[in-house]
Amino acid sequence: MTTPRPRPPLTPRAVGALLVDTTPWLSCDECFERMDVHVEALLADPHHRDPAMEHHLQGCTACADEARSLLDLLRSGTI
Amino acid sequence: MTAVSRDDLPPPGSGPGTTTRPAPPGGLAGSRRAEPADWVVALSTTGPEQQHALRLLHQLMVRAAAHQVWRMRSALPDDSPASVEVIVQQAADEAMTALLAKLHTFEGRSRFTTWAFKFAILQASSDVRRLQWRRREVELRDLDLGTIPAADHDDAERSAEGADLANAVARAMATVLTPYQRRIAVALLVDEVPIDVLAERLGTNRGALYKTLHEARRRLRAELTARGYLAPTGGAR
Repeated sequence: MTTPRPRPPLTPRAVGALLVDTTPWLSCDECFERMDVHVEALLADPHHRDPAMEHHLQGCTACADEARSLLDLLRSGTI
Repeated sequence: MTAVSRDDLPPPGSGPGTTTRPAPPGGLAGSRRAEPADWVVALSTTGPEQQHALRLLHQLMVRAAAHQVWRMRSALPDDSPASVEVIVQQAADEAMTALLAKLHTFEGRSRFTTWAFKFAILQASSDVRRLQWRRREVELRDLDLGTIPAADHDDAERSAEGADLANAVARAMATVLTPYQRRIAVALLVDEVPIDVLAERLGTNRGALYKTLHEARRRLRAELTARGYLAPTGGAR
C-alpha cells in the first residue's frame, strides 16, 4: 500500500492567479482612466491591442469585470 | 462629499421635454430633448441647460448602475427587485457625484456617455461586492507553511504541472515574499476576497493592494523562472 502524496497547499486556480504576468505595470486608477477609450477601441476593432491594459485586466478581477460590463453595456445599446 | 441625489434634481418632466422612462444604454431615447452637444459645458454652466444636463446624466447613471447590479444580483443577500432598485439608485447618486468631481478631466477621447457609464459601473460593482461580504469575516491569514513539502530536486525537470508546480509556488511564497505580501496574496488570490472589500477592511485602497500584489507576483515569477519552473518569457514549462 502506497502513502498518498500530501495535498498541495494551493489549488490550480490559485496557482494560475499567483503567476499572472502583470508587467508592464498599470495601476487600477490608470486602468479606470483608460477603460472607456479601451472598450470603444475594442468595439471598433476586436483585434485592438493594449498590452498594459490586457495584462492588468488578466491580473485584476475587479477591473476585468467592470471592463467586460462596460463592453456589454455598449454592445447592448443603441449608440 | 455628499452624493448628488435624484432628490436634488429637478423633478422629471418639470424641464422641457424630459422623462425618466427607461431607455437603452448609450442613447437617451426617453428624452424628447436632445442630449447636450457639449456635456462638459452644459454641466458646468448654471441655468436651465445645466438642470437638463444633470437630469439626463442621472438617467445615464441609473441605466449603467442597473446594468451592473443586475449582472451581479445573484451575489446579493437580497436580490428582490425592490432591493435592487435601492442599490441602483444609491450607486447612481454616488457615481454622479464622483463624475462631477472629475468633470474637468474629461478629454473627449471617448464618447461622454461611455466615460460616464464607467463611473456607475465601478460604483455599482463595489457596492454589490461590499453587500455580498457585509456579514462575512475577512481573515488576513498566512499560507500554512508547515504543509509545504520540501523541494524534490527532480521536480522541476520532471514536471511543472499540477502538484509539483503548486508546491514550488508555495515554497517560493514562503521564501521570497514578505509576510504582508503573502497575506495579501492569500486573501486576494487564494481566499478570493474582492479587492475593494479587502481594501475597506484594511483601511487602504484598491490601488495600494494591487501594487502589493503586482510586486508579489513579480517576485514569484522571478523565483520560479530561476528555479526552472517558468520559461524566461512565459508560463510553466
